[in-house]
Amino acid sequence: MSLWKIAWRSIQHRGLGSLLTVISMALGVMMVVSVLSINGLVSRSFKSNSSFGYDLIVGARGGGTQLTLSSVFFLGRAVETIPYEYYLAFCDKQTRSEEFRNSIAYRANIEQLRALEALDSVSVAPGGGGWGAIAEGLAGDFLIRHQNDFMQLDERGLFSNYVNFAIPILLGDTYQIENSEAYFKVCATNRDYFDKLTLGQGKKFELASGRFFDNEDAEAGYFGCVMGSLAAKMSGKKVGDQIKVTHGIPGEGGSHLHDQLFTVLGILEPTGTPNDRVVFVNMEGFYLINDHVKPVVESSGINLRRDRDEARALAKEDVKPDSDLTDEELSTVRLPVEQRELTALLVSVFDEEGYGLAAQYLQQPIEQGNLSSTLNWSRFRPLQAQTSAQCVNPVQEVMRLFVYFVEPAKWILLALTTLICVVSGLSILVGIYNSMNQRQHEIAVMRALGARRSHVMMIMLTEAVMLAMAGGMLGWLGGRTLNVALSPIVERQTGVPVSFWDFAPAEPVFAVLSPVLGSSDFAAKIVKFQMSPELLLIPGLIILAVLVGVYPAISAYRTDVAKSLGK
Amino acid sequence: MLELKNVKKAFVQPDGTKTPILDLAEYALATGEQAVLIGPSGCGKTTLLHIIAGITRPTSGSVKIDGVEITRFSEATRDRLRANKLGYVFQTFNLLPAFSALENVMLGMAFSSGRASSARARDLLQRVGLGHRLSSRPKTMSVGEQQRVAVARALANRPKVLLADEPTANVDPANQQAVIDLIRENCRQEGVALLLVTHAMNVADQFERVDRLDEINRVVAAARGVA
Ligand SMILES: Nc1ncnc2c1ncn2[C@@H]1O[C@H](COP(=O)(O)OP(=O)(O)O)[C@@H](O)[C@H]1O
Ligand SMILES: [Mg+2]
Repeated sequence: MSLWKIAWRSIQHRGLGSLLTVISMALGVMMVVSVLSINGLVSRSFKSNSSFGYDLIVGARGGGTQLTLSSVFFLGRAVETIPYEYYLAFCDKQTRSEEFRNSIAYRANIEQLRALEALDSVSVAPGGGGWGAIAEGLAGDFLIRHQNDFMQLDERGLFSNYVNFAIPILLGDTYQIENSEAYFKVCATNRDYFDKLTLGQGKKFELASGRFFDNEDAEAGYFGCVMGSLAAKMSGKKVGDQIKVTHGIPGEGGSHLHDQLFTVLGILEPTGTPNDRVVFVNMEGFYLINDHVKPVVESSGINLRRDRDEARALAKEDVKPDSDLTDEELSTVRLPVEQRELTALLVSVFDEEGYGLAAQYLQQPIEQGNLSSTLNWSRFRPLQAQTSAQCVNPVQEVMRLFVYFVEPAKWILLALTTLICVVSGLSILVGIYNSMNQRQHEIAVMRALGARRSHVMMIMLTEAVMLAMAGGMLGWLGGRTLNVALSPIVERQTGVPVSFWDFAPAEPVFAVLSPVLGSSDFAAKIVKFQMSPELLLIPGLIILAVLVGVYPAISAYRTDVAKSLGK
Repeated sequence: MLELKNVKKAFVQPDGTKTPILDLAEYALATGEQAVLIGPSGCGKTTLLHIIAGITRPTSGSVKIDGVEITRFSEATRDRLRANKLGYVFQTFNLLPAFSALENVMLGMAFSSGRASSARARDLLQRVGLGHRLSSRPKTMSVGEQQRVAVARALANRPKVLLADEPTANVDPANQQAVIDLIRENCRQEGVALLLVTHAMNVADQFERVDRLDEINRVVAAARGVA
């Protein structure tokens, strides 16, 4: 009869006690497995969310972390804004000049208006369109004189050659589900967001229904929107429904519902990213919402602090100051550059070498607001606005967040669960200890039958190890099964699929030993060695079992046969 | 087969004083010989059996089993010797509750150098009349049956000497004789020397050789002499 069998019989004999020990052990191990898997999930989803498909976030100066949190995770307060010209600095010649021409037309009309007002004020009646012609002429002169040195229309954006794309986003508004407390962040952007951004591993946005909005949408004009999967699911909105967005965070000071209706054109498939919780609206429509028009102080002396309707009316080339435009017509007039602001630009840098160096080279000129070779900034923006931007590297920021928050949390959880394991290891000890009296008699009998001290010691250790292994295996299977059972939920929430055999990610598990190991080459190799901590679980438990088994083993070793036989 | 010379045993009391318990000038058993050891409670019968079994080391003297001096052996060697050459039947049976009858007998072979043979264990249980209860747990057996399992276990390793310490003291009267008969019969069949301790005179009377420990133990005899 082997020592294994003897130990097994002893476990069987203490059926309930052994079972409880194994269960408490299994629960501890299950928790450790869960913590490891959750941690694996968090880091995997962190990593999949940080292969963003862009390398730089350009946004207002201030906390880089705040900018990243709001642009990547749509978390936190709205940050300050930067001038729209930063976006144009990344655009090709055509886009850029179109935008500026719109602005020029707007300016021209303002000039025209001023001329008309000036003529009106000296009470000279305009005859037969004569004054209008004069005004138009003046405006034309103005344009010809200035358009090139102001805007250098024939130039590409200063940074356009160095980037794959730059996508503008505007944050700060929310969509609150009707008759509910729940709300989602609104992100105003353009079509590029869906066409050019990738969601980790090169995945693209996909539609569950409907379509993406076009920048100038035949159906919805500027007022189309696309809902993230969770936003759509929770609000129950369908393609074709219309929604209103709230300025700011619902229920907080200064927040109010905008009247403007946006039409839901599409609903996204779940992405497992924060995008699922966002309502994307067409940036052009967003700009046209009444109080999104930024009043701009003009250094040229032109006061653009005008009523929005008037300003927009003026943007129409064939508009006369006194003409009435319907709301519908108004809503087709794009806001000029000067009145546009952005929360952030998501920039994918063209980087042939692939070392992320190109992104670094861009950082300085962007932060210095050094657009003067292609733009006469001073005509558009106060000096302050010209140096208002900063670049952050989202990957770095996210990794920093990860290191600051996720890693310590993991260690705390691991420490806790290790404690649980130690406690359940102690439960083995307690179980054996409580039966020690009876055991001592059994040990004495075995000794009388010729068992050596080493035999009875090994039997005790074997028993502890068997209990630990049973608990460990059961707990591991339980933890894994739990993971698989929960995987549909987890996948929906994080986009990360979980399978039974997905071990917690590899880590330099022996790094904690580095102070003990010294500095030899071999020690360095051990410290760098990576494996899944999960694979250490069972061996760890066996070591634990041996440790807690040592006490009963020693007590077995010391049993006085002659005395204990009499008991 | 068994040869003791000048075996003395004194226990050290907690206060440090030594209390002599046993002092035997000579004691021997021939191969296959059967002897009964009697004497009042406390005269050192169990202690003597423990010394012979190598469980307790004598304070001085020589113990030879099968011609081998065991007192100088290490404990582990004595353990091995005990497993191979000695069988022990206890007053309280000392079957292990976790194991079936068959397993208890096999356990007698687990620590010896020979190979454990379940055929041997079955055969022994057959011989003590328990062929039908191989897989029964001790708890489900009568005291008579339990002691018969213990006898089978003590014989499992084909020992040279069987030590039986009041084997019938806890067995119901109806079964006492059967147990004694089983022990004696099996020892005779296997050529095992038997040293049986008992209080029961009707048991002692059945033996040709009856040793009174209170007489041959010089510690007890001297105390009596003084008294
Ligand atoms: N480990 C021990 N320590 C001290 N005294 C002991 C020990 N074992 C036995 N004795 C004493 O030795 C004497 C003989 O005991 P024992 O051999 O059990 O007697 P018997 O079996 O004849 O009744 C008793 O007085 C007992 O108290
Ligand atoms: Mg006794």
